[in-house]
Order: sequence, then C-alpha cells, then structure tokens
Amino acid sequence: MTSIQSACVRKVKQKKVAIDTQVPEFKTDEMIINLGPQHPSTHGVLRLILTLDGEVVKHTECVIGHLHRAQEWQGQNRTWFQYQALIDRVDYLSGMFTSWALCAAAEKIDGAVVPERAEYLRVLVAELNRISSHLLWLGTYLIDLGALYGFPFYPFIEREKILTFFEEVAGQRMMYNYIRIGGVQRDPKASWFKKVEEFTKQFAQRIDEYEAIVTENPIFLKRTKDVGILTKEVAMAYGVTGPTLRASGVDYDLRRFKPYSVYPKLKFTVPVYNKHGDTWDRYMARVQEMRESNEIIKQVLDMLPEGEIMTKKQNAGLRVKAGEGFAAVESPRGVLGCYIISNGSDKAYRFKWRNPSFSNLSVLPPLLENRPLSDIMAIFGSLDIIIPDVDR
Amino acid sequence: MKDDEVNKPAEQTAEATVPLTEGVYGKLLKENGIASTPLPESIGIETLEVQASAVPAAMKFLREQAKLNFLVAVSGVDSPDTFDSVYHLWSFSKLDELVVKVRVPKSSLPADKLPEVPSLSNYWQTADWHERETYDLIGIRYIGHRYLRRILNPWDWEGHPLRRDYKQPVDALNDKHPVSMR
Repeated sequence: MTSIQSACVRKVKQKKVAIDTQVPEFKTDEMIINLGPQHPSTHGVLRLILTLDGEVVKHTECVIGHLHRAQEWQGQNRTWFQYQALIDRVDYLSGMFTSWALCAAAEKIDGAVVPERAEYLRVLVAELNRISSHLLWLGTYLIDLGALYGFPFYPFIEREKILTFFEEVAGQRMMYNYIRIGGVQRDPKASWFKKVEEFTKQFAQRIDEYEAIVTENPIFLKRTKDVGILTKEVAMAYGVTGPTLRASGVDYDLRRFKPYSVYPKLKFTVPVYNKHGDTWDRYMARVQEMRESNEIIKQVLDMLPEGEIMTKKQNAGLRVKAGEGFAAVESPRGVLGCYIISNGSDKAYRFKWRNPSFSNLSVLPPLLENRPLSDIMAIFGSLDIIIPDVDR
Repeated sequence: MKDDEVNKPAEQTAEATVPLTEGVYGKLLKENGIASTPLPESIGIETLEVQASAVPAAMKFLREQAKLNFLVAVSGVDSPDTFDSVYHLWSFSKLDELVVKVRVPKSSLPADKLPEVPSLSNYWQTADWHERETYDLIGIRYIGHRYLRRILNPWDWEGHPLRRDYKQPVDALNDKHPVSMR
C-alpha cells in the first residue's frame, strides 16, 4: 500500500469514527417472513419461518409435516405383505433403500436367509438407484442455484435410462416393491444385464461431462464455496449422515463401517472431504459417490452367482417371527433405519422409521444463521432433503 | 385377524425366564453409580432398562465416556403395560451398539396424564426433533424440552395417533369433519 493510499484509509477511518459519535447506530426491525410451504425450491412442502434482519437470516424454524401420511400407523394396520408394497413411497427417489431397510430388519428378526444371488441383485439395483437419486439431485440443485439454461436436463438423460432398467425389472419406474422379505421379486433377463453393462461403460464419461460444466464454473464456485459450513462436531451432534456428513470430514459409511449384505466382498472407496464442510464439498461428495457406485455395479455384474432369489413365500399370509430389531442401510441421504417390534402375527406391533432426511433437515437452522437470504436455497439444496422422507 | 391377537405383547413370546447377565455397558454404568436392568437382548444387541430419573446422567456418560456418540433414533412404543422411550445408540468410531429403554408403567399414570421422561434435547441436538416426534405420535412428555410442540401432525391435533387405543376423529375420505365449514 502506498503512503497516499494509507493516508486515504486513515482519513476515511477517522471520518467514520466522527460520524459514529454523532449519530446513534442505525437499527432496523427484524422481520418475520414465511418461505413456503409451496416454494419451487423446497422439493416438496416445507415451510421455513425466517426471522430476517435486512437480508440476513437471524433465526429459522422449520415447519414440517405437510406431507405426513402416517406411514408408521399404516404399518401397524396393514399386513406385512401390504406394507412392503407401500413403504417405498416414503422416499420416492430411492425406493429400493426403504424396502431394503424394512426387509433387513424383518429378516434379522425372522432369521430368514437371503440367497446370495438375491443379495447381489439387491446391491445392483440399490447402487443404480443411488446413481439415479444423485443425478436428480444434481439437476435440481443447479436449478435451485438459478442455472435454468438446460444443464439440469443432462443428468436426466442418464436417469431416464436407469428408470427404464427399473421398469423392466420391477414393473414400475419409481415405486418398485422389488426387494422383498427373503429375497428379491424376480430375476432379470440376460439381456437386461447387458444393457446395464453398456450403461456403466459410458457413465463415467458422462460424469466427466457434468463436472466439466459445473465443478470449476466461476458462478457455481461463488455460490457454493465457503457457504453453509457444517463442522464435524455440529454434524455429529445433530445426527447428520450420508454424503453430507462425509463432506464434513467424518468417514462414516455403513457400507464399509458396518458392512451388510455382500459389501465386504466389493472394492470401493468412500469419498471423504475433510477441509471445509461447505456446500461445494457436499456437491463433490455426491458426484464422486456416483463414480464409486458405477464401479460397484461393474463388479457385481462380474461376480453375480447363479441360484435362487427368494426363500420366503410371497403371499398374503407372509409372517415374521416375534421379536424386535433395528436394521439400517446406507441410502443416498444417509443412515436409513427401521425399528420393528413384531409379535408373530401378520401385522407388526410397532414400526419406527429413522429417516436420514429428518435428522439432516434439523441441522438447517444453525447452518442458515447469519447468512444472506440468497444462500438459503444453496444451503438447503446441498443437504439433499426429500420432504416425504422427512414427513413420512 | 382378531383384535386381541394384534394387541398381544411382543415380549411374552421371547424367552425371559433365564436370569439375564449384565453386558459390557451395563457393567460400565454400574461402576459409575447408574443402576440399569438388562432386558432380553434384541437380536444380539445389548438392551438396558434405565430409570427415568437416571436418563440424563446415563446418556451423558454413554456419550462422553463410553463414546456411543451417535444417537440413531428416539422411538416411543405403546407396550401393553408400559410406555417405552427407546434410545438406539451407535458410535461414529466403533462398532458397538446399545439399546436403552425407559419404561413408564401405565398403572402408575392417572387417566389424563401423559407419561413423563427427562429430555435430552438441551444436551444432545439429535434428540430435539426425535422427542418432538415421539411426543406427537405416542404422547410421552419430555420434561425440560424447550419447544415440545407437535412436529408431524398439525399443531392443534387432538390425541396421539400411534397409541393402541387411538380412535380416528373422522373418516377423512367419507365423513364430514365436525368442525369443517363444508
């Protein structure tokens, strides 16, 4: 700094002090404003009661429950067979995982053995589902940030392919009811595996294309770098899980930490970002996770054994032995757990869902504190919350 | 499906005749002066019953000393004789799991009083929303919670829907709601 510049700075500073002593500090009233319940960026029906000081958020209250469908109550009043068809509507972007959590808990209580081929098929469809869920998040997150120019539909091209795979194997594009207690619903044809293999071969290149557009984009960097910093301690205290937690530097992925199904036999890395824990890290964690899922699918296609796919009879008399148990799977949003108390009849005594979005959303108020209004959607979108998953 | 078969307790079928031995965390709690009773294990996972008054101390010990620092869920269960508040504890650094249950007997409750359990929300942020949910659906009042308000149901909802004796106020599809203007 030259001497003239520093002199100017000093002058300005002196002037400011002089003004401050004459005029009392300018104070504004805080304003309470509702964001939602219907806002295009909330991906559902979420109401945020914001207390604003100018454009700065001082306090946030999340009002949830607009999409409450009493899934736990329905579980207690429906038979096992009916309920396992109903439950993948909870998180409509990753229905496979909700079914899987239910089946894992029920099989744990029942002691049912799942055939190895069924386990591999579960991993295969689940990882495909993880990719499709992250692809939708990638597209809509860019819309949240204001990139309405066409990028959001590039990921949808690949997602469409995956949904077609699911349509062929499970009969539906989103509500699959494919993973059942005791195995999986049906065995795909050999041609289906070929199609999936072709998909995996070109998918890594597609991710490179998305990254070429988004990752180093200056506007994207300005909107996401150092925005919404979630520290390790806060994330752990609030029970945040999934890529959101791993972007904050905690290496916690159930697939590797508490391996279930055939994950111990598969080789994959879990992307962990331990520098900032900001919005950009959460973006990177998800994008890299898609690459890993793609690698897992390739391995599963190679290792898939022949054999049975179902051990329990799938009919209206489906029952689970008495007992209680908790099982969890790593969904695209985090630890998705199911706590079941069964009394041996055709209905469960109690269902309790531990949904990752529920805990991940609860960390939003501390993240928004003292951030400008324009950061709300950048931060909220980066948590990847599905409102039906919060409200059940 | 008969109603009495639905309302049959789950615990009766589990073999509880053998005196249960204390697990690792039961012993740890005992050494630190917190009494706990072992319950029939839920699929190989240690399960403890803790008195309601001892919950804050026990949880503080388990989170800080025993490193069970991941509160997976707080669930409410309307068991036949008791209202249970169930805490599933995991850890971010080790594989151990623990289930802690607080049971409030129904016989000790006056007809229109909610069961009361000390809140963890001031100490453990995860518990905040989970306790609100349990209060909303099962009707367990968490003492010391700063904002114990319904979270999934509307704020003016009556009754606690996941109780076994809950009656739906109205058939939402076919009946006229008593307070609706239709």
